[in-house]
Amino acid sequence: MPTPITMPKFGQMTEESTIVEWRKKEGDKVAKGDVLFTVETDKSVMDVEAFTEGILLKIVVPAGVAVPVQTVVGYIGQPGEPVPVTEVPKFGKPVPSVASTVSPPVVPTTARAVPQPAPVAAEVQPLQPVTVPHAPVAAPVFRISPRAEALARECAIDPTKITGTGPNGRILERDVRAYLDARGYHNLRITPAALELARKQKVDVLEVRGTGAGGRITVADIQRALAERPKPMSKMRQVIAQRLTQSFTTQPHFYVTVSVDMTELIAFREGLKAAGAPFTVTDFIAQAVVLTLQEFPVVNSSTDGKNVRWHSHVNLGIAVSVEGGLVVPVIHMAEELTFLDLCMRAKQLVEKARAGKLTPEEMSGGTFTITNMGMLNVESFHPIINTGEGAILAVASTLKQPAVRNDQIVIRSLMKMTLAADHRLIDGALAANFINAIKAKLEDIELWKRLTSW
Amino acid sequence: METFDLVVIGAGPGGYPCAIRAAQLGASVAIIEREQLGGTCLNWGCIPTKALISGAELYSRISDATTRGIKATGVAIDYAALVAHKNRAVEQLRNGINQLLHAHGVKQFSGTARFVDRTTLEIKSADGTARLSAKKVVIATGSTSVMPAFLPEHPRVVESRAFLGMEELPESLLVLGGGYIGCELACMAAQCGVKVTIVELLEDILLVLDPDVRREVRTHMEQKLGIRVMTGRSLDSVAADGSGLTCKCGNDTLHVGMVLAAVGRRPVTDGLNLEAAGIKTDERGFVRVDEFGRTNVANIFAVGDVTGRVQLAHYATAQGIAVAETVCGQKPRKFESVVPCVIFTSPEIAFVGLTEEEARKQNRQVLTGKFRYSALGRAVAAGETSGFVKWIVDPETDQLLGAAAVGPHATELIAEAAVAVRAELTATELAHTIHAHPTFGEMWMEAAHAVHGQCIHAPPRRKK
Repeated sequence: MPTPITMPKFGQMTEESTIVEWRKKEGDKVAKGDVLFTVETDKSVMDVEAFTEGILLKIVVPAGVAVPVQTVVGYIGQPGEPVPVTEVPKFGKPVPSVASTVSPPVVPTTARAVPQPAPVAAEVQPLQPVTVPHAPVAAPVFRISPRAEALARECAIDPTKITGTGPNGRILERDVRAYLDARGYHNLRITPAALELARKQKVDVLEVRGTGAGGRITVADIQRALAERPKPMSKMRQVIAQRLTQSFTTQPHFYVTVSVDMTELIAFREGLKAAGAPFTVTDFIAQAVVLTLQEFPVVNSSTDGKNVRWHSHVNLGIAVSVEGGLVVPVIHMAEELTFLDLCMRAKQLVEKARAGKLTPEEMSGGTFTITNMGMLNVESFHPIINTGEGAILAVASTLKQPAVRNDQIVIRSLMKMTLAADHRLIDGALAANFINAIKAKLEDIELWKRLTSW
Repeated sequence: METFDLVVIGAGPGGYPCAIRAAQLGASVAIIEREQLGGTCLNWGCIPTKALISGAELYSRISDATTRGIKATGVAIDYAALVAHKNRAVEQLRNGINQLLHAHGVKQFSGTARFVDRTTLEIKSADGTARLSAKKVVIATGSTSVMPAFLPEHPRVVESRAFLGMEELPESLLVLGGGYIGCELACMAAQCGVKVTIVELLEDILLVLDPDVRREVRTHMEQKLGIRVMTGRSLDSVAADGSGLTCKCGNDTLHVGMVLAAVGRRPVTDGLNLEAAGIKTDERGFVRVDEFGRTNVANIFAVGDVTGRVQLAHYATAQGIAVAETVCGQKPRKFESVVPCVIFTSPEIAFVGLTEEEARKQNRQVLTGKFRYSALGRAVAAGETSGFVKWIVDPETDQLLGAAAVGPHATELIAEAAVAVRAELTATELAHTIHAHPTFGEMWMEAAHAVHGQCIHAPPRRKK
């Protein structure tokens, strides 16, 4: 009896997943622990391993189709075993439209690149087939004779641009020839390999400008034309696009910037580091934010414009740049952690994020986010609030700058922080008080001595 | 102080064509050379090795020709006379360059150049010092052999330049380094009857080549020429005694008459005082240039070996000409990317474009088409039947991405492949080009047919 392979449930919130790629073909031998396929959930990409051995008898769900979790996607068994006829799941089921504006003021959505499926409806629209520039538009029927079509293909041109003179506007070979003459095709210079590539990839060579000697079209020119074709963004980028557009268009942002004098904290940290303590500058900022959020519950809240929800815990998101995008792992109940625990948890999550190993839970539930570009040599920047959260703190580079202390110009290490706040929840005075409270903590060395003495 | 539009430092195969091209375009040009016109290539590299190799090869062919009806007795090699021929060839070509530079109105300075600032050069020679003012400067100072520090200083421990200057060959030779210089000289010496051992640290000799090409050459070198090839081995020590050199190589102890070090080349920038002009070099001392030959200093360019790119004379020449045109205000031209490489081992090797291994590393699908000399009428008639040519093809577009040839005349044959690869020809186009019969060049056509499994002079491929 063949064993069914089901679509695993990756997290409590995952309802639906897509197989990106089958790593085994029908008929392939499968050993326990072999990777069968890769899955893309709305949050991440993961490998699914076989838990039995045998032959992959049948693939029921091909790559690229979203199916509910627990759906049977294939069968493993012995050669020749009959595979039960399965009801093929509904493919390409309509996806609910994105983000009704009136979402209940419940669980706030969180991680920047990683939406939750509900309730702020983070499901991303399925990929629309990308329209290739010269794909025929549906409406008038495109009529072309086989000879004309073959000639157009041979010349690597787009036949839809040709006006047909045959019956019902059918394009005939003579129309293609007239078009080629009119467009000066015979003066076109192209290398044989470039022409072959254009034919294969259906690039209209009349639209390509040659950069070779005397305007000759080379392989590199065709490759540039191919690179310009619209193509679907990665799932991660689509999620980023959808969520940040939602935040930026529905949450009215305003910004408050302060300069923090980091001179003493950096010296203090150097001392800790020399003694073997692992704290990074981000850890100090994270701890200061966690402490301050507890003093300003309004900042640690969500709204849909009608209701407000104050979160009882600080679930701190930390934006991490990864290849091709960014993810925001969340430190849950950060207010319960000691400074050392907070530091260790942050380190662990950042490492998992870079390795692409975050679980959906670790990317959701955030109530406030820190984004640190300190390593990237920027003076300040304006972040976009993570959808559903009340504010986000942008941390810029610490730079040595002239500062006035006791009416003297001295060199200090200054760091600019910018708070982007949702004006529906937070007003200017509150934002100013909030960010200055963070600044005060970062400049209070006694606080850090207390937090690091154990 | 005399002022020039362009001052070229170094009159090797990068420098002198650069100077001549700029002069052709109307610039006032000076060229500074501290040794001999023609640089390493002409004096201590390409030309002298080819003079010696052609002699050695002729000798070995005559000795092998009995099966083809040539009876030759008493054939012997007179190495001193061969060296004399080499010296005549070098001198003739050197005079040629001198005349060409004169004819184009390039002013020659002999001495060592030193930057005073980015537009001023000081030339030190036996006659004293002179200063030139240069609107643009091209650095074409080339490279020189690296001598590993552990080798003792001894007249019988040499690098390629000293080796080529010798009046006689030793009885036995240890070549340290299995790159193309080491292999060329090893083959030459072996053909002249020297007992040769090659010691290479890496897992094979000539590692830039595809494995099938390497295998062909190595087998020939070991079995026909009797060269002992030790790969994956390090030379631990060399000690000189009265009768020769004792070399320790792990458990092996070799007693040889001479050690030739061929382990790579380093840039020649000593005395140039690059810092005075603010020119940046990389960690190995090569002058950093972009693909137009521009250094980080606006008026200063560099070409050839000193830039740390492919170290071949013809590449330096192409760079020199491109830079001359850029310097003279023509539209800046990028360095060519299709560089044929030729290795005068026995058998000869040549390749251009991507190797099969490089193409696969780019995650491409790769098709190859091979044709062996042994299936070619002309090769059988001439009794030159070992080796093959190979195309590397993109199966999607049929484009000829690269080619390799190993066997007699391979270094001549590669010219056609270079044209085909640069012109982005397809295997079909090449296969449809009529190649004269009976010639060695037919192999490219046959191999192009073989890409599509349509080779006439080869049995069909076995179906998998």
